[in-house]
Amino acid sequence: MMPPETHLGEVLQDLLDGRLGDAERSRAEVHLAGCTRCRRELEALRWVKTDVLRSTGDEPLPPALAERVRTGLDAVDAESPKPGARPVRPVVRWAVAAGIVAVAALAFMMLRRPSSSLAPDRVAQDFTEVVEGRLPLDTTTSDPPTLESFLNRNGVGFPLRIFDLGMMRYTLVGGRVHKLTNRAGALFVYRGEDDGTLICEMHLATLASMPPAEETRVLNGIQFHIYRRGGTTLVYWQEGGEVCVLVGDAPYETVIELAAAKAVKV
Amino acid sequence: MTSPRDLDSDAKRARFEATAVPLMAVLYNAARRLADGPEDAADLVQETYLRAYRTFDSFQAGTNCKAWLLTIMYSVFINEYRRRKRRGPTVSLDDLEQRFQHHLEVTSDAEASAMTVAAWGARLSPEVDAALKQLTPEYRGPVVLIDLAGLSYDEAAGALQCPVGTVRSRLYRGRRALFAALQEYAAETGFFRGEG
Repeated sequence: MMPPETHLGEVLQDLLDGRLGDAERSRAEVHLAGCTRCRRELEALRWVKTDVLRSTGDEPLPPALAERVRTGLDAVDAESPKPGARPVRPVVRWAVAAGIVAVAALAFMMLRRPSSSLAPDRVAQDFTEVVEGRLPLDTTTSDPPTLESFLNRNGVGFPLRIFDLGMMRYTLVGGRVHKLTNRAGALFVYRGEDDGTLICEMHLATLASMPPAEETRVLNGIQFHIYRRGGTTLVYWQEGGEVCVLVGDAPYETVIELAAAKAVKV
Repeated sequence: MTSPRDLDSDAKRARFEATAVPLMAVLYNAARRLADGPEDAADLVQETYLRAYRTFDSFQAGTNCKAWLLTIMYSVFINEYRRRKRRGPTVSLDDLEQRFQHHLEVTSDAEASAMTVAAWGARLSPEVDAALKQLTPEYRGPVVLIDLAGLSYDEAAGALQCPVGTVRSRLYRGRRALFAALQEYAAETGFFRGEG
């Protein structure tokens, strides 16, 4: 029998799933011809994939489930105003007009201040949507340079620095081009060994546009603005023309330490 | 194709009914392998559809709707799993891995070639269901999404929010663990025929 270190291991699965190129497949087949252990393992994997799982029949859909789902969709529709509603009374129309003027005045005043579209509530919402799978990633990769290249090719117009958090036991999952300001920014996601989630966003902005921080710290000569939203900690800092924000559901001090470990004074 | 974001509400509902609702059977079967029982699976499917409908604006028309829905469903499942801190009858993956190694070292070639589940028929066997539930979600997820729901490695990586390499490794270990969990049953029920 061949020593363990020469067995095919996960390559057997690649062979079974048709993921090997011609040369790799040929090498695997040559190995299999001479290795009983690997042939047994390949047959075991094939049995599980094909005989057990693929051949198990489908459970019939419960008749009431489709109706339950449609009733739920109706309830969602009922939450939204429908077009063709009754005409608004004149007094209400005047009140709405006055409200519009007030909102326009407020917007004018706000435009004189820098945009706060990177506000903690907005970024915390991004974190929730990532965790719940409602904010899709444009690409999945565990390689920071690959993600940097992808994001720069797809419209992020400023120098990106995707952190390698492997030493801190967070694996890069992937990222997306993400617009919160009127320019493309970046959002990238990490998964911890305890299945915790970390996201980092980078956008062209200034810390001065953020709401007052709940805590500020100066670490390694860099000022950090820290917020809490529910069970998540948000840590903001400035790197050149970009604001970076690290958001996580890990303990408060852990997220701050991660940010401090990766932030660079520019 | 017009983005859902640009449709009025009636057209959006019609597009959702045409695109997503026909996939309900696929979602239900995946949910049956993830959740604890038929009622939990039905709840999982319903919650998935509600969340999908509320965020239909984010669905890119023309892309894989099945993968999008399964991504949402897995997220709903794993969040509920963590919230309930489910500690059902899972078996240590290391134990299953040891049993798999034992099979590789002692099984004769005749036994290995004679394995079949033909007599189990086409319906989901309770033993297969029980064996799947022995796996923790990190190993059950790739098996369900790839081997049962037919997602590609890349699509499963998106749904599981982990790199493709991680999906590959977890699928490999999940399949090996399933084999070990089922092997004892297969041997007891006489599916290993013939001797060397």
